[in-house]
Parts: sequence; C-alpha cells; structure tokens
Amino acid sequence: MTVLRLESLNPGMVLSRDVCDRKGRVLLPAGAELTEKHLRIFQTWGVVEADITGDGGDDQDPAPFADDIDQAALAEAGAAVERLFIHCDPELPVIKELKHACLLRKVSDAS
Amino acid sequence: MPPDSSPPTLESLLHGVGAVPSLPLFHERLDEAINHPRSSITDISKIISEDQGLTARILKLANSPFYGYFSKIDTISQAVTIIGVQQVRDLALAVSVMGLFKGIPEDLITMELFWKHSIGCGLTARALATTLREANLERFFVGGILHDIGRLVMFITIPELCREMIETCRNEGRLLYEVERERLGFDHGAVGGMLLRNWKIPFRISEPAEFHHYCQRACQYPRETAILHVADLIAHALEFGNSGELLVPSLDTAAWNGLALSHNQLPMIIKQVDIQFADTIAVLQGDAGE
Repeated sequence: MTVLRLESLNPGMVLSRDVCDRKGRVLLPAGAELTEKHLRIFQTWGVVEADITGDGGDDQDPAPFADDIDQAALAEAGAAVERLFIHCDPELPVIKELKHACLLRKVSDAS
Repeated sequence: MPPDSSPPTLESLLHGVGAVPSLPLFHERLDEAINHPRSSITDISKIISEDQGLTARILKLANSPFYGYFSKIDTISQAVTIIGVQQVRDLALAVSVMGLFKGIPEDLITMELFWKHSIGCGLTARALATTLREANLERFFVGGILHDIGRLVMFITIPELCREMIETCRNEGRLLYEVERERLGFDHGAVGGMLLRNWKIPFRISEPAEFHHYCQRACQYPRETAILHVADLIAHALEFGNSGELLVPSLDTAAWNGLALSHNQLPMIIKQVDIQFADTIAVLQGDAGE
C-alpha cells in the first residue's frame, strides 16, 4: 500500500483501495489497473491521491517546484519560511506542504 | 487601565473598562424570530432588511464566488430560501461583528489586517469543511471571523501589556498565545469564548473559538474546533493579514489526524481559498470604517 498524489500516478499501476470523488462516490474500485483515461477522469473529479499496490514510499514531500523558478529568490524566501514555521514539526507531511505553499507565495510575490 | 503589578483577570477584561462593545440588539430579535415556531421566512427577512448596510453586504456575499450560484440573489428572502435561515443568521453575525471594534491603537494592529486574517481563516475553515463534507458551512466561516476576537478585547483593555507581550515574541521568537498564558494565566481564546458567551452566541460557534489553541479541551464540538485550529494554521502559513501573532502556531497533531485529511488535499483547498479571498475582502471591507 502506497499513497501517491495524482501527478505521481502512472498507467499500469494497480489500485489497492477504491478511489472516490469528493462526494464519496466510487470512481474506480480497488484492484483496477490505471489507464491514461482514468487519470484524466481523476483530475476532472478532484481526486488528489490514490492508494496503489506495491511497497514504494508514500509521497510525503510536496510536488517539486517548476524548473524555471528563480533559485536565488527561492533561497532567500526559504530562510524566512523556516523562521515562520519554527514552532512546527518539520517532519510532518502537512507542515511540509504548508511550508511549500508559503514558499511559493513568497517567491511569486517577489517576482 | 491603571498600571498595576498584578495581571488582570478574565472577568476584569470584559467588565472592568466598559469599552468592550456589545452586540447590536437586532441579533437578539433575529434569534427570537428564528427560534419562534410560528415565524415565517418573511418575518426573518424583514428583521434583517431593516439594516440596509448589512442587507447590502449579505446580498453581495451571496452573489460573489463565495457561493457560486448561477442565478442572481437580490432580496434577503431569496437569500434565506436559497442559503438557509441558520446560514444567513451566521453571515449576519460575521458581517456585523466586523464593524464593532473601534479605537484600537494602530501600532498594535490595524483593523484591516486583523479582519484579513480572520476572513482568511474563515474561508479556509469553510473550504476544509467542504472537503470534509460537513453540513451548514456558514458556521465555519463565522467561526473563523470570530476566532481571535478575544485579542481585540485585550488590545482595547490592556494595550500596554499587549504591546509588551508582542515585543517579547518579536525578541524571543515565541508564540503570542503561549506568552499570554504565561503572563495572564489564559489566552485570547478564553477571552473570546467569554465575550461570545456574554453575547449569547450559540455554543457551536463559541466553543471552537475558545479552544482553537487548545483542541483537546473542546468537549462538545471537537471536530469544529479541530477544523478551526487547522484553518488558523493555514491562514498563518499563507500570511493572510495579521492578528498579532507573528509566527505559525504549532500544529496539534491529534486534531489534524482526527480530521483524516490528506496533506495532498491542501493545494486544492488553498487554491479554493485564493479564488474567494479577494472578493470576500472587497465585499466585507469595501466600505469599512464608516
């Protein structure tokens, strides 16, 4: 059982748990093999992650930044974000995600 | 407040100075009408419509992306029918509380920044609740609007002490609500909770506000409290306005785990809040200060 976010899913992976939409309706049952079309449908219905078979690591870290991001601005904003989150446990995936969002915002505000 | 060596008590904050505003009488009438078995939508709409400023803001809000209805809502009775009585009542509360507090020293906080943080938190709480498929979403929005209201009471009644505590936080990199507890024995949540109870605001709204930094103490509405706690954290992380707190509060992991949200859902929630933020600010703060 490995939880991967939508961007990390690939055709051929096999679901180990039902994938539901935001209202709880089952879109694709456990055991199904993912195809390109399924991934498009997931996107449409607001699915953000899926549980797949196999034992790779979970997607604990936020999605990587785009390649064209300003590296200098990123480093500068990074220090400010660290200060802001000094009272939060940096190992928690939710905190990683929030720091990431905060960083993105600072960089896009600066540019 | 005269310079005093002993820290003020919770009661003295709310009753000592008399500068703490009271809720407009109209809310009591509104509650009475809503709770009365024989009152109709027309009765309820009539009470709200008497306040034109409030009416205008509620209608603007109902027609903004905050709701995303396709047809135009142009009367309060339509709003009540479509959005629901409780919901309109909660919105009315959120809107009217924002105009109540005046005369807070500008070096402590500006009302604009304070309400930005509160609105950001309210929208986030509402978006979290939507994702969690909760019902009656407006209580989450109003919860966010009110969660730091205790701090406004403190800024009015003990400005010197607040200035000192904020200074301590700035110098030592600490969290304001922890310094409050150390210096006073209670935090702004407790002050807010007491104010809201004095105002006879329902417990489903006052309890989450009271314990948003103390999730484990919420006994009747732990889920609402946890949602508010997480929303506050996100509002800080996204740096919506300012409520006096300089840093992101620490996360109550039990509260977070209890919600069974995935961190992968956060980007979508943040996106949703961003879409609504500017419009909601424009509606609620558009002509603030009059």
